[in-house]
Amino acid sequence: MSTYVYAISASSHPALPDGMGGVGDPPQPVRILKEGDLAAIVSDAPEELRPKRRDLLAHQNVLAKAGRAGCALPMRFGSVAPNDATVTDVLAERTEHYQERLRALDGKIEYNIKASHVEEAVLHRVMAQSPELRALADASRMAGGGSFDDKIRLGDMLAAAVKAQEAEDAAEVPRLLAPVTHAVSVGPASTGWLVNVSFLVDGDSAGQFLAAVERARTSLPHLELRVNGPLPPFCFVEPTGTTASAGAE
Amino acid sequence: MTVVPQQTGGGASSLYDVLELVVDRGLVIDAFVQVSLVGIEILEIDVRVAVASVDTYLRFAEACNRLDLEAGPRKSPGLPDMVGEITESGARGKSKGALSGASQTVSDAFKQARDERSGDEAEAEPRPRKPTAARRKEEQE
Repeated sequence: MSTYVYAISASSHPALPDGMGGVGDPPQPVRILKEGDLAAIVSDAPEELRPKRRDLLAHQNVLAKAGRAGCALPMRFGSVAPNDATVTDVLAERTEHYQERLRALDGKIEYNIKASHVEEAVLHRVMAQSPELRALADASRMAGGGSFDDKIRLGDMLAAAVKAQEAEDAAEVPRLLAPVTHAVSVGPASTGWLVNVSFLVDGDSAGQFLAAVERARTSLPHLELRVNGPLPPFCFVEPTGTTASAGAE
Repeated sequence: MTVVPQQTGGGASSLYDVLELVVDRGLVIDAFVQVSLVGIEILEIDVRVAVASVDTYLRFAEACNRLDLEAGPRKSPGLPDMVGEITESGARGKSKGALSGASQTVSDAFKQARDERSGDEAEAEPRPRKPTAARRKEEQE
């Protein structure tokens, strides 16, 4: 029977989600594998594991429960080991590395922010910034909307301005929020949002972070900011890669 | 305050917004096998392609012609209050344009791909709507 792995934590974690329902139908009960100072949160892997809603949610729920009472390093969805022994072998081999990560992430949570433009508001903004666009829009309006070609020309310029504004906003959001966080991880930029950034935040200063988000909402009213969190530190489990210290520009 | 404020819509409704974190981030260990995510790759569609289309140009031009420039930032360019006011007056809710519209398309495509793979699953809304309304209410308070 292969083993589905949810997370790695310290074996001293005060409330491991032992017995909770995990992935699969019926849900496989969550078990804890301990190896020295480390523990793996696992369950039997279902025969046919697919990225279905139910299993994605089960994965997330186990991570949320594990992260509530202590630090846990979240595995990517769908991590399956051939058996329990492989899991404990990995824990034994890389004890030092995982302990370092657990120490580094102790008491910290991830917030993910996604933003998209509010169309009317962003058009207003780009017009406000460009006399050329305003002149063109005025001419178009006087001509009762203008010809097809006029509209295309105006629309083309507006689209270019909006795109430039996107790039500006993509940089501005992390700039506004980074000072109250430990680390910033910029996610894939082009999948339904113009900003997709995760922040590593001290659990104790989450209120401060959310206040900064509210200020950003006020100063960037043409953006719809969506906040998700607290999340397990998905983007910060490895020390290298896309993460960067907030202070180091 | 001892409880960390929860910002997600909770459970299923927020899944879409964090999906790429669950399936694309997190710890990966070489000794383990990673389940194939066929059907989820569709999330990688570049929505900004949609911005560079004739349809978008026309829609932007039309939207621009409807904007009330006299009341808007022309007289005082860049005045944030003015933009803010327009946003508050409902643009947030009703102008689902190129960007969020494309996001809708992506989530629809995703939903469709998933439905094809697992017809037995009841799918929830692709994106949480409620938090926006709740947020607006908070702002008024």
